Amino acid sequence: MTAIELRGVTKEFADVTAVRDLDLTVEEGEVYGFLGPNGAGKSTTIDMLLDLVRPTEGTVRVLEQDATDDGVEIRQRTGVLPDGFTVYDRLSGRQHVEFAVRSKQAGDDPDALLERVGLLDDADRKAGGYSKGMRQRLVLAMALVGDPDLLILDEPSSGLDPAGAKEMREIVRAESERGATVFFSSHVLEQVDAVCDRVGILRDGQLIAQDSVEGLRDAVGGEEKLEIVVSDPSDEAAETVRAVDGVSQVNRDDETLVVSCADDAKTRVIGALEDSGVVVRDFHTREASLEDLFLAYTEGDAVASTNANGSGDSGTRDRDGGSDESDTADVPIDADTGDTTADDNTGDTTADGDDAAAEEGDR
Amino acid sequence: MSLVAIAEKDFQDTVRSRGMIALVALFSILVAVFAYLVRPEGQGGEEFATEILLSFFVGPFLVTTLIPLVAVVVGYNAVSGERESGSLKLLLSLPHSRADVVFGKVVGRGAALALAVFAGFLLPALVLILLPVSFNAGAYLGYTVFAGALGVVFVAIAVGCSAAAATQRRALIFGVSIYVLFVLFWSALTGQILDAASPIVDPLPASADQIRTFLEVANPTTGIEVLTGAFLGEQLFRGDALNQQISAVSMLVFWTIAPPLLGLWKFDVDDL
Repeated sequence: MTAIELRGVTKEFADVTAVRDLDLTVEEGEVYGFLGPNGAGKSTTIDMLLDLVRPTEGTVRVLEQDATDDGVEIRQRTGVLPDGFTVYDRLSGRQHVEFAVRSKQAGDDPDALLERVGLLDDADRKAGGYSKGMRQRLVLAMALVGDPDLLILDEPSSGLDPAGAKEMREIVRAESERGATVFFSSHVLEQVDAVCDRVGILRDGQLIAQDSVEGLRDAVGGEEKLEIVVSDPSDEAAETVRAVDGVSQVNRDDETLVVSCADDAKTRVIGALEDSGVVVRDFHTREASLEDLFLAYTEGDAVASTNANGSGDSGTRDRDGGSDESDTADVPIDADTGDTTADDNTGDTTADGDDAAAEEGDR
Repeated sequence: MSLVAIAEKDFQDTVRSRGMIALVALFSILVAVFAYLVRPEGQGGEEFATEILLSFFVGPFLVTTLIPLVAVVVGYNAVSGERESGSLKLLLSLPHSRADVVFGKVVGRGAALALAVFAGFLLPALVLILLPVSFNAGAYLGYTVFAGALGVVFVAIAVGCSAAAATQRRALIFGVSIYVLFVLFWSALTGQILDAASPIVDPLPASADQIRTFLEVANPTTGIEVLTGAFLGEQLFRGDALNQQISAVSMLVFWTIAPPLLGLWKFDVDDL
């Protein structure tokens, strides 16, 4: 069973192509994270799932029914938290949920749903007076009405504080355990890491990568950063490490050697240092963060992933996108957002900690 | 069912609308003031008080001008307002078709306006009961029903325009145009058209006068005036003007159904 299936979907608006030739499959029971920078076409894609927007070309099927022809039946079994919605200012929170219950002809108790999203105390207030986060919770409660088979959440944690975002993740997890398929878009990467079975990255209306979070990490950075604190961080020690097979780069930062190496070279690096008589006091590894992954995919040259869908050429924009984001400078795949810079700091003798470079040994 | 859910939601939302409440309150006060001012002085006028008040004063000056205005205010943003604000996304995330949305709104807002009109006629009724004149409750109540019907027709027209309009601004322009057309310029405009079209009209089996009469009652405000006049004169659906009354009723039904259908036709194919 597939929950969502897009085949060759293109959506052209009067002035832009928001989505081009998109193929996307989400299996039943999956939690799928739909990532991409603003203007990549995420919301247009979700709008097509909900029949708010109709594709120019291609087919959109949701819960094995046609999105345009069977929209009402699909939405009967789907819960939606849309992006850019507003609530009915003059109606109370409870009236909103009651409306959703009646619309779906479901038997849910509105108070139980409001309790679940933490809004029960404010249920009788008019929704016009709710904060952004409360509105987000309210519409989530509406989305949960009738135990939907599919949950579509567009930027679910926008407007939520960290505690609210955590509750949102817990609800996603609980719904997934109940057997629901969850499809959500986000640019909050921690969310994706915590709850997603699979991630797709959209850029310029095309899917440029699709895999598990681990799979993406492997594809982008087979390399990890190893930070080793040694007793005597000499140039010889750095040379020793550099000679190890699989090491691509060594930087010295005070007492720490920062080593970029293949995953399987880590033990050899430690071993080589100890063999040469250097005392290793401490070491830890740092994985490429999701941030790094995301930037590598969305700004850099598209990298082949296990399920990559071709590399996107620039030139498309979402209808509400401002500037074309794809023509920013190439970011290397192992883009380092941490505190050590890797390539361009040789000869920097004004050693102020972070930038002290050891690579050329020219202090 | 889906349509009923939307109608109910929209009813709850609309009866809380300050704009509508304010306009209906104004309407109510004006009718009450009229009732007080034109109260008959002598004994002889007593039994005609209610009918005369309604058909000569309240009808032409208040009902056919203010009620369409309130209806346009209530209806013009029905769909376009939700479309622009984004609450339409909530509505269409639930299992509703776009037809449910348009007709649910006609029903919900029509009902809200009808209720408001009834409420608006309560205060004048009180004034009439307290004045030393005979108050014909049956005529008064019946008249209120016609006034409510007029409101529902204009809500339907305004909601139809709202569904066809992509933006609030356009919906507002449509709404104002409807009001100006039906309340202010209808006879002048149809007269002009009829004169200009006389070469085409003349060979038809219907006389120009018949067509003129039909065009007059095709305006919902005139249609309601014809029907209320007949009702208050106890001539409803009988007498010489039966054909005219039937035309008026059919045109009121037409205006309630056709504009929402046309609006839906456009709304249904739009990207939202």
